[in-house]
Formats: sequence, structure tokens, C-alpha cells
Amino acid sequence: MNNRTLLTKRVDFSASHRYWNPKWSAERNKKVFGKCSNKYGHGHNYSLEVTIEGDVDPDTGMIINLYDLKPIFDDVLKDFDHKHLNEDNPYFLDMIPTTENIARVLWNIIGEKLQANSNCRLYRIRVYETPDLFVDYWLE
Amino acid sequence: MGEVCSITKVYRFSAGHRLYLKGISDEENWRIFGKCTNPKGHGHDYYIEVKIRGEIHPETGMVIDIGKLDELMKDVIDELDHKRLDVEVPYFRDFQPSGENIAKYMWSSIKPRLKSGELYHLKLWETQNNYFEYFEEDD
Repeated sequence: MNNRTLLTKRVDFSASHRYWNPKWSAERNKKVFGKCSNKYGHGHNYSLEVTIEGDVDPDTGMIINLYDLKPIFDDVLKDFDHKHLNEDNPYFLDMIPTTENIARVLWNIIGEKLQANSNCRLYRIRVYETPDLFVDYWLE
Repeated sequence: MGEVCSITKVYRFSAGHRLYLKGISDEENWRIFGKCTNPKGHGHDYYIEVKIRGEIHPETGMVIDIGKLDELMKDVIDELDHKRLDVEVPYFRDFQPSGENIAKYMWSSIKPRLKSGELYHLKLWETQNNYFEYFEEDD
């Protein structure tokens, strides 16, 4: 029987976005995305939950030291917190910053940094757009 | 290994119920169900977390149109909201209106109404301290 230990850290960020597919007409964007297609964007208080899987170090009793995790989050969220994701964030130049795509992008960026700086790996990314709406992203 | 994405939305409804087994005495019902068998019923503010799994559509960036999920969930919830479940909802004449059975009933109510995405997981909060999960897996 295998055992599995997970650690989850939660961090908040606020950002604005606009749902707009440049290949579509204004009418189609409006029809599909409704008020989310508003020209000047709108914002949310997002919460990011990062769940990490790994071996528990016998000396520290930890998968990863939360002190080491915090600077990774701070670095990643520089491009997200208090930004307009369509305008200010390099990852959404060709991708609509839906909650699904935000989760996907965060998975890729955080996953790379974890790989470079630790022995653990991502298990799941959860992004809350509002307290009653959230997206999970994982690999299987 | 491939990417998997799900989107979860939480909906709320309020309903009354009484847990009661026909064919046994009131004392036996009391022994099994405790205060949940109070003859006049009691109620809860339920929260249902509906998790839909699917691919991120390349053109919309979305797993499912949440507006469409809201529409179908309105129909699902209208059948339960502010109802006395064991009296007014036919399904619960045959099954106890327990959290487990309400979750199972909601699965069977949501699934045929869902036109895109896959119903993946339900979590029904009966109170802040009790929740029930229901999902179906392939053999």
C-alpha cells in the first residue's frame, strides 16, 4: 500500500480581466461571454490553493518548508496581483484569462519553479474566482 | 498524463424534512433517527457544490458556460427549494430525505440536463459541520 502526503497553501490576489476572443465579431463575443466581455474589464478577488505532493523529509517532517514556498508564490504572483491580466500579464497575450486558463498557467509556472527548487511536485491547483465558483486543474 | 480541468459552482437551497420509517413504532423511529424524526419536520439551508469536468475549450477558454449551468440548476433547485422533501417531492416518498439520498437524487436530476461537460462530483452541505459527497465511477 502506498501512502501519500499532501500540503496545501492558500494565497489571495486581486486582478481584472476581460473575456474576448479577437478572432470573433463583437456580437459573438457579447453573445458567448455576456457582461464578461465588457471593454474595460472587471475584477475579482481570487484565491489560489496550491496542493503539493512529495516525500516527507525525516529530519524536518515536511514535504517542503513553507518558508521556501512563500518566495516562489510571491515571485509568480507579481504578474497577477493588482494587474489587468489581458494587458499586463505576458501569459495571456494569446489566451483568454478565464479561471480555467489562469489555473492552467499557474500550474505551468509554479510546476517549473518547484521542479527547479525542490524535490516535490504539484498535485492540484485550485483557483477561486469568487467564494462560490472555483476551478481545479491537475494531470492524470 | 494529460491535463484535467473541472469547474465547481456552489448553489443554495432551503428545505424541510423528517426522517421516518413506516411500519415501525414511533419509539423505534426515535431510537434510530433521534430528533430528526420530529413529527412536524425541521429544515436546513443546504449548499450543493456541483463539479463539472471537461476539456478547456480552445476558443472560449472555458470548460462549460456557467450561465447554462445556472439555468439548469435553477430547474433542479426549484424542485427542492422551500419544500418539505418527504411530503412534496415524489422521490422522497420512497427514499429517506437524508443528505446521502438528496445528493444521489440531485445527481440523477442534474445529469440528464447537462448538455456539455461531465458531471464529476457533488458535495452537499447540510450544515457547516456535515457534508455528503456523491459521484459515480466507471467499473
